[in-house]
Amino acid sequence: MPQDNANTSPLHGAEKAPSRTALYSQHIRLTDKSHVVSFAGYLMPLWYSSIACEHTAVRDAAGIFDCTHMGVLQISGAGAAEFINQLTTNSVTSLGVMHAQYSFILDTSGNVLDDVIVYRKGGDNFILVVNAANNNKIKNWINALLDDEVCIDPEHTGRKICGRPKVQDLRATDCEHDCKVNIALQGPKSMEVLLALVQDKKTRSEITSLAPFRFMETDIVDTECLVSRTGYTGAKIGFELFVHSEKASQLWETTLQTGRPLGLLPCGLGSRDSLRIEAGLPLYGHELGGKFGISPFEAGYGWAVKLEKEFFIGKAAMERISRKYDMKVTRVILPGTKGTRPVRQDDGVLDEYGRCVGWVLSCAMIGEKQIALVYVGRESLAVNDAVGIYYLARSSGQVQQGGKQSIEKGELLAPDLLGKVVSRFAKF
Amino acid sequence: MVVQRLRYTKDHEWARIDADVATIGITNYAQQMLGEIVFVELPPIGKQCAENDELAIVESTKAANDVYSPLPGKVIEVNSELESRPDLINQDCYNAGWICKMQITDMKSVESLMDSKQYEEYVGSL
Repeated sequence: MPQDNANTSPLHGAEKAPSRTALYSQHIRLTDKSHVVSFAGYLMPLWYSSIACEHTAVRDAAGIFDCTHMGVLQISGAGAAEFINQLTTNSVTSLGVMHAQYSFILDTSGNVLDDVIVYRKGGDNFILVVNAANNNKIKNWINALLDDEVCIDPEHTGRKICGRPKVQDLRATDCEHDCKVNIALQGPKSMEVLLALVQDKKTRSEITSLAPFRFMETDIVDTECLVSRTGYTGAKIGFELFVHSEKASQLWETTLQTGRPLGLLPCGLGSRDSLRIEAGLPLYGHELGGKFGISPFEAGYGWAVKLEKEFFIGKAAMERISRKYDMKVTRVILPGTKGTRPVRQDDGVLDEYGRCVGWVLSCAMIGEKQIALVYVGRESLAVNDAVGIYYLARSSGQVQQGGKQSIEKGELLAPDLLGKVVSRFAKF
Repeated sequence: MVVQRLRYTKDHEWARIDADVATIGITNYAQQMLGEIVFVELPPIGKQCAENDELAIVESTKAANDVYSPLPGKVIEVNSELESRPDLINQDCYNAGWICKMQITDMKSVESLMDSKQYEEYVGSL
């Protein structure tokens, strides 16, 4: 029976044995070993209590997530700002010191290599946080750029990359003092939990007034910590804490102990996924790139692609796509009472006439409803429109009984489940 | 948790044999691996199955999983309670969470299933 391949790395089949994160011993203590699975090369918890409990905790109180598997790259030294301005689609020029921004790294043809958060610590001192599954790809890409192995602008082959900054993987064993790994603390009570860990009055007031997409450096539980008002849950209040990997367990334990009475729960990959789906946030490989090659414009993030910049890698393709794209990512609400078959990736999305207008990218059960992110025709489905879902066959038995294994756009089908279109994003 | 007197498969189904009728479900290990079960597709009554044929589908929030027939036989009863209460499998997989009953067509096939001790060892080795 259960070949629970949920959330395992879709990128690699046979690969080297997964590594333990800095918080592995905490996971094994907090949940059954069978719930700790290989994800992007690391052993990560799917859930501790249950996906539903952890989801609710983040919406009503707070949750703490092991994000120490995520890539943390420091790019610093002369020319770092110019380099990152070419590397990423958003505007580094308009990024203030101690501010963070969402951005994309594209290849020269405009394919999304990753979506990232760029942190500016100083004029020429940056930290890039990249997806775990893309960490090596992005490191290799940056190194190839710095070694002039890539023609960065097919339309002006003479164009060279600017700046030769130093690149350091802050999770590598050789970065000693500078080492940084990510622990996320998210939800309406996350501020209260964090403040309970800090005695110093001035620091407390700085944390209280920290705006979204701003960060600061301070000591938390006797540990140097980069505290950032960012996250991946759609929570209006949420933090990502970057600390030395050797201090990660201590911070995790203390935070959990302090926060439990406030409703803080440790949260696994399952609720991380359901929370980001509910909020409408994209996951690389699903709502960005992936088999459809979804562009930032289709995903609803055209604002993070600054076409007015003189140049960035992939700009010519982005200019073309921005003028004409036919598909979009949309958020849909569907019934999800017990006994409703869960909607899954690749299921068909139908308009009110039963015409297939696209496919499901991701879906999550949240309480008595399901929220799906779907990829549909740009001119189809507006907010509040009725939408139908057509289930693909779930097993070879269903295929034998005539169940479809794939669905084409334009096909006329009878919906299995009815729902409606909601706003592209939601905040909680 | 493994229950005595049941028979088990490597795919984590259990069968409770009573004369020539087998009650079938999934094991505690299976329900734990799946997490919150939200949907069960039951087989039609009268369905003839060979050993290892697809019998039912159990879907959790994260994955759809086939339940295979541990024995050759014919489905004679299904637990229709699961249609509205699929979580019974999480709560009580060996009793209230049973999936269906089958009339066994080849009693010899029972011998090829694991007993509780063998299954316990098997799960321990995973």
